[in-house]
Amino acid sequence: MRTLRLIAVGALLHAKHQSRSSLEITIALILPVVQATLAVHLFRAGAEPDRLLEAAVGAGLMGIWSSVLFGSGGAIQNQRWLGMLEMIMLAPRPPALVILPITLATALTGTYAMVATLLWGRLLHGIPLTFADPLAFAVAVPGCIIGLGMFGLLLASTFVLMRNANALTNTLEYPIWLVSGMLVPITVLPGWTGPIAAVLPTTWGARAVREAATGSGPVWPSLGVCLAISLGCLVLGALMMTHVERRARAAATLALA
Amino acid sequence: MMDLFRLVGTGGVIAYRALFNWATPAMFVGTLLVGPLFQLLFFAYLGRQLQVADDRFYIVGNAVLAASLACVFGGTMAVSNERRFGTLGHVLLSPRSRTAVFLGRVLPYAGNGLLIAVSTLTAASLLLGLRIPLSALPGLLLILAVAALSCGFFGLALGAVGLRLRDVWLVSNVAVALLLLLTGVNVPATDLPTGMRVAGQLLPITHAAEAARRLAAGDSLAVAAIPLAAEAAVALAYALLAATLLKLFEAESRRHASLDTL
Repeated sequence: MRTLRLIAVGALLHAKHQSRSSLEITIALILPVVQATLAVHLFRAGAEPDRLLEAAVGAGLMGIWSSVLFGSGGAIQNQRWLGMLEMIMLAPRPPALVILPITLATALTGTYAMVATLLWGRLLHGIPLTFADPLAFAVAVPGCIIGLGMFGLLLASTFVLMRNANALTNTLEYPIWLVSGMLVPITVLPGWTGPIAAVLPTTWGARAVREAATGSGPVWPSLGVCLAISLGCLVLGALMMTHVERRARAAATLALA
Repeated sequence: MMDLFRLVGTGGVIAYRALFNWATPAMFVGTLLVGPLFQLLFFAYLGRQLQVADDRFYIVGNAVLAASLACVFGGTMAVSNERRFGTLGHVLLSPRSRTAVFLGRVLPYAGNGLLIAVSTLTAASLLLGLRIPLSALPGLLLILAVAALSCGFFGLALGAVGLRLRDVWLVSNVAVALLLLLTGVNVPATDLPTGMRVAGQLLPITHAAEAARRLAAGDSLAVAAIPLAAEAAVALAYALLAATLLKLFEAESRRHASLDTL
């Protein structure tokens, strides 16, 4: 119970903190709206107006991924710049439990993107928000967010080992959008991308949300696979975070950029 | 005259090395070479699936757009990083023309943008199997160079605005996203609402992408000359705007002693 409280309070605190940054809000709010507008016009140009809801949901998912990628990728670095890294690492809890709320908060902030793209689609483009399974959609979106937050911990722990993590962060946005089928169906991609897509929680999370919105398939198996893979990422991330923290303490390099 | 060229050329290169935060090899390759290529692939596959346009439309358009990332952010950094690093006051104390100093700074970023656009076009053409007539290559290079210059001046104008704003990166991020939407690189201009189409005409990339597509389709440079001239006019307009804004905001900052206020 104390662990759950730590995660919940930590995630809320960091979400509030990120919500004060105009840059974070821009990335989470305006950019997905631009992506959604682009997607809607593309789908209209392609004479597929019946798939506009799919376009808006896809753009929202892209926004959540961007938020997780940039937020989690910079989670450790940001704490370092704020001078808080030593403080949070001194906390008498495992480092993964201290960092996980940050990555969950980045995913939570990403929900702005989903809300913004759906509202934008409804108000400006008149897209009817008629979800095939509203209950499943209401569960799939938070499920996807929690999954991506756990995946974020693995990213954060990996990126902390790399001096130029930003380079990887900037590079990973479009490939994951593409391979996970957030807007482009996986079926039109080259066959070799299939195995990569299959091990990414983003693929299954996007699939679950899309299935709930359009009724194109059963939601729960996709959401279950998303959460299972994410749980694996959480375990891996926690192990890596512990290893990194011990190494940084031994070498006295925790605060060094 | 020689001194002016030295100020513009050498000064620009020194400033590029000092202020362009992405200049480490890993950052350069990851952010500026690989990133735009994946962006191109994303839209090419989306376009294929939706049957909006053929591969040439997306490859050529996104290759032209690839120059924008380095040029817009670079142009912004050319001004705003001086302020961030606390060296803007020293630059403005210089007895030389600040217009020449700042306009010269765009040149290395434009060169950088050209390199990125060429590498993106080459890699994407090889990956997706696009054949471009050999005779079109010199013209394409010229169009990409003008597009890069246009984006650089656009970025410099944003950087000048950054002298009055606390968070210029917000403006740059939104500007780059709007280029993606409004320039007709990914959605054919005919499918955009009139307002967005008109806004696109005033932005860099729009005319260059059109000119590049005509050349890649086998038309002569004479056919592409009109959109190319339009892109050059856009570049000139943003250069003038940047110079005016820099002069104006410099005077304002001196008057209100707000030069280094972040």
